[in-house]
Amino acid sequence: MAVTDPPERRALPVLAGAPAFDAPLYRTLLSAPGLSVLAGALDELLAWGSRNALWVFPMATSCCGIELMAAAASRVDLDRMGTIVRATPRQADVMVVAGTITVKMAPRVKALWEQMPEPRWCIAMGSCAISGDFYRNLYSVIPGIDTVIPVDVYVPGCPPNPEALMHGLLRLQEKIKATRAGTFAAPELNPALLTTTRPSIARVVDADRDPTQSDQQTASADHATASDKTDARPEGSPEPAAYEAVAPDASPARDFADLVRDEFGVTDIPAGMAPLVETAKHVALARRLRALGYKQLVYVVVSHYAAKTGARAAPERFELACAVRTVGEGSRVAAWRLALEPGEAVPTLVGVYAGADWQEREQYDLTGVRFAGHPDLRRIMMPEDWVGHPLRKDYAADTACPPWR
Amino acid sequence: MNALAHGASYGALIILTLLTTVAMGVWFERKFAGRMQSRLGPTMVGPVGLLQSVADVVKLLNKEDIIPRDADRGLFTLAPVLAALLSLGAAAVVPFSSTVVAADLDIGVIWVVALGGLTVIATFAAGWSSNNKFALLGAMRGIAQSVSYGVPLVLSVLVPVILAGTMSLSGIVAWQTRHHWFALWPVIPGLPALGLFFLAMLAESNRIPFDIPEAESELVAGVTTEYTGAKFVLFYMAEYVHTLVGSAVASVLFLGGWDGPIAPGLHWMVAKTLALFVAVYWVRWSLLRYRSDQLMALCWRRLTPLGVGLVLLASAWALFAPGGPA
Amino acid sequence: MQTQSARRGRVDPHLSMRDYDPEADLMLLHFGPQHPSTHGVFRMDLHLDGEVVVKATPYLGYLHRAVEKLCERLTYVQQTPVVDKNDYVAPMTNEQALNMAFEKLLNVEVPRRARWVRTLFAELQRIASHLLWLGTFALDLGGALGGGSTLFIHTFRERELILDLFEEVTGARFHYNTHTLGGNRHDLPAGFDVKVKAALAEIEARLDGYETMTLHNSIFVARTRGVGVLDGELALELGITGPILRASGVDHDLRRDAPYGAYDELKVRVAVEQGGDCYARAKVRVAEMRDSIRLVREAIEGVPEGPLCGFKPIRLVGQVKATAGQVYVAIETPRGELGTFVIASPDNPTAPHRLKIRSPSLHALSAIPYIVPGATVSDAVAILGSLDPIMGEVDR
Repeated sequence: MAVTDPPERRALPVLAGAPAFDAPLYRTLLSAPGLSVLAGALDELLAWGSRNALWVFPMATSCCGIELMAAAASRVDLDRMGTIVRATPRQADVMVVAGTITVKMAPRVKALWEQMPEPRWCIAMGSCAISGDFYRNLYSVIPGIDTVIPVDVYVPGCPPNPEALMHGLLRLQEKIKATRAGTFAAPELNPALLTTTRPSIARVVDADRDPTQSDQQTASADHATASDKTDARPEGSPEPAAYEAVAPDASPARDFADLVRDEFGVTDIPAGMAPLVETAKHVALARRLRALGYKQLVYVVVSHYAAKTGARAAPERFELACAVRTVGEGSRVAAWRLALEPGEAVPTLVGVYAGADWQEREQYDLTGVRFAGHPDLRRIMMPEDWVGHPLRKDYAADTACPPWR
Repeated sequence: MNALAHGASYGALIILTLLTTVAMGVWFERKFAGRMQSRLGPTMVGPVGLLQSVADVVKLLNKEDIIPRDADRGLFTLAPVLAALLSLGAAAVVPFSSTVVAADLDIGVIWVVALGGLTVIATFAAGWSSNNKFALLGAMRGIAQSVSYGVPLVLSVLVPVILAGTMSLSGIVAWQTRHHWFALWPVIPGLPALGLFFLAMLAESNRIPFDIPEAESELVAGVTTEYTGAKFVLFYMAEYVHTLVGSAVASVLFLGGWDGPIAPGLHWMVAKTLALFVAVYWVRWSLLRYRSDQLMALCWRRLTPLGVGLVLLASAWALFAPGGPA
Repeated sequence: MQTQSARRGRVDPHLSMRDYDPEADLMLLHFGPQHPSTHGVFRMDLHLDGEVVVKATPYLGYLHRAVEKLCERLTYVQQTPVVDKNDYVAPMTNEQALNMAFEKLLNVEVPRRARWVRTLFAELQRIASHLLWLGTFALDLGGALGGGSTLFIHTFRERELILDLFEEVTGARFHYNTHTLGGNRHDLPAGFDVKVKAALAEIEARLDGYETMTLHNSIFVARTRGVGVLDGELALELGITGPILRASGVDHDLRRDAPYGAYDELKVRVAVEQGGDCYARAKVRVAEMRDSIRLVREAIEGVPEGPLCGFKPIRLVGQVKATAGQVYVAIETPRGELGTFVIASPDNPTAPHRLKIRSPSLHALSAIPYIVPGATVSDAVAILGSLDPIMGEVDR
């Protein structure tokens, strides 16, 4: 059975009268008397050069970046078509956006795009870069990189195979050729799509940027924005919690349940649940366990329970779960919980386990529970100026991330 | 007047040949690296990808020329030109055969070493004027490295100079033609001096394992981080010309230059130069990179004492060897 | 200013820049989030004195994809393909950790065959992941235009062999979505063992060469030995697990110490090194690759017959329900302890009330403010590479 190409693969959409590609050398030649006859030949040469030396700037954020690397490796070998990877945007022609772009990352992508010299192209590799994939409607992910920078070729897949990326680059070559020949026009977009998913890009435009200036003058954008504090500890934050040396406890290993019952006054341990400890005894328990050989902090998790009405009415509350682990053969985990009122601060574990630092910052960032005595309680995942705490139940997962939704 | 015409014509010839060789050399390097990495390298542009370098240059010349807002505009533009001029200028005194030489200076050795050493000014100008921290770090590393490796480079060059008793590159080759290649005899100062020269040349032209001024994985692209299009082409070309001229000088100093049986001298010279050129690639695509302090330690603790020792040995040989150089 | 942490003989990561010598003329270098060797979108702000790092401040969250929030909206069976994207270098381990937690929460029995197949895949995944790490680490040390890329491309070639195996089983190069509640979706195809053995033989033969190019290469040794030394106590306190912890002299491996899957029958030889530096980390990972090759060979022989999934194929995603309970399950991935903490609540029985993914890379990165100061910029790149962070699971 003969297989024919689908018709749309044969040729790109054609529209006469599209503006020819602008190039400095080309312009100079056109303006020189008598030399303009060479312009056609030169145009061919420049187009040939441009499409046969597509150097890639890898805007690789996640999974697709691995396939981008695989495409440069021996099985696919992008170097066959003259494509190499350049680490600096100044020497690249194609930005391959490979991976999910978050609200925090998007301004950087824009800044890097602006640093690339014309002529430049962009390939959106993978469904996250194209549309946001299943993260599309989440608070921190932008719905496609084409809301930030113009995209020339979309390479679908999750992630696309390296072969698919190569195909995307070949399609880009066709597009460059057609653009130069004046036979390419962008395919028509669905107007409805434009109004619903293409917001303004006000947020990603640098406020200091003078729109009358060309990229040439402003392109050396410092890639840190004002919201990125360089100084780790915010003004007026408390001194780090005092660290007390914990001498190893020589007494024989005890059952964790017995320990919390005898020494920490926990009477009722529900089956399949960690014991509920008083907040005031949180640090003391951690220190005691550390002395008993639980040397490793496993997790600190805060969960939020929204206020409920009706038959099972309950006030809003938080619960902190924490676990530590012994090391070596027969490793045991000791886990406990704290019940927290809204607004109640938890004493920090940083003085006992240094690893609690980022764990508690993450919980503070995502749930808003404060850790008293934490030396560096800043947001860790979300931008500094973010409003709200995403993992609270009253924070909708699809909360608008302006300006994208 | 005659000498001027001779210099101009041969100079143009040599520069054209060098540039063509560089273009082909880039293609060859990509093919060579491809083979080392069990892939193909360029295949699609022209027959077996031969036109790849041409496409690269055409494309780069066509790119927008960006000068960062806060850069020192004059210096930023001067640096790549300086780099290209200095590396091409060194080629002027290299004798490719007994007749093919643009300017046969009496102090050719000094000219080559001096121009090689001056490229550090271009590196520094580029790093400083870019107003980019990665470029600045790259420039700092480049200066430290070039200045340090200039010492073993000079010491290794002194060996053939002492043995042949002349500073003219043609004179050194002529001596080797009459007697023997310095890499072959006397073995002890000769062969290690070639090795020392090769290492110092790798460092001077920023090739792995000494490519720390560029160091893409650390400094993005080092001193060339902010350069686009045509200016980047000049840097890129200067780097390759530097390596090529270095290989040529090594062949002249240690491998007898155009000396060789049967085939004409020019063929021998080209063959030796290209062999060393390929050796640079071979090293480049095999090894990892040193850290800058390790590089300095290697230079000052190992290579410089070695160079001093070799110079002393060469002097002793020149003074006392039976039938040695007069 | 003498702070508490400084008294412990450690770098104090919270020391404010105001406490540094104002005359020192330090340079601030933004390293990332887009940089050739940040392994994704990680950012460090390095305060440099010349080339020596005085203070390193990491910044995360450039790939925060709200996975935990998303999982609260999806039913238990829908979540596997979502977590695939967390540790995108070893996606199958994410599926395993998540589904093991759900199985424990819902009391689902996993057939023996499924446990063996999962173990087999996990070990193959470990080889692939460490191969990728070796390649990218060489890239960090040797650059994209040099010997580093030669090693990188060679290790990628071997990694492709394993991806081919996975592709044959699941149809995908990665993001497999093959684990499910109570077992696996895709059975081993006919002749799979022959192909696995052929691929392993090839990898094992070439691994010797890579070891020569790295562990026995004097430049590699000079660049890694004594660089980024992390002592075992600090590593434990920071919650660092996996090869990094074992390279710091702590003999801890969940596959042996808290066995799951088929590890109660397959005996893991835990590689431990005392150095705590980048070299020790490289050595541990290479040793783990060799041990994994052995384990895969044993596992492929020992996969028992029987059903592959204890659950009937689930057509209605809302069928699986849990109303109470808190479960934490951890497995040993190529990067360390990957845990899943699930809270079920009666409010929404088909989805977890709270799902927390405890990722090893997040903890590994938290060592940076302690071990990078004092190193040069080149070393910082080597240290970051040796920690093998995957930003997908750091930021989630």
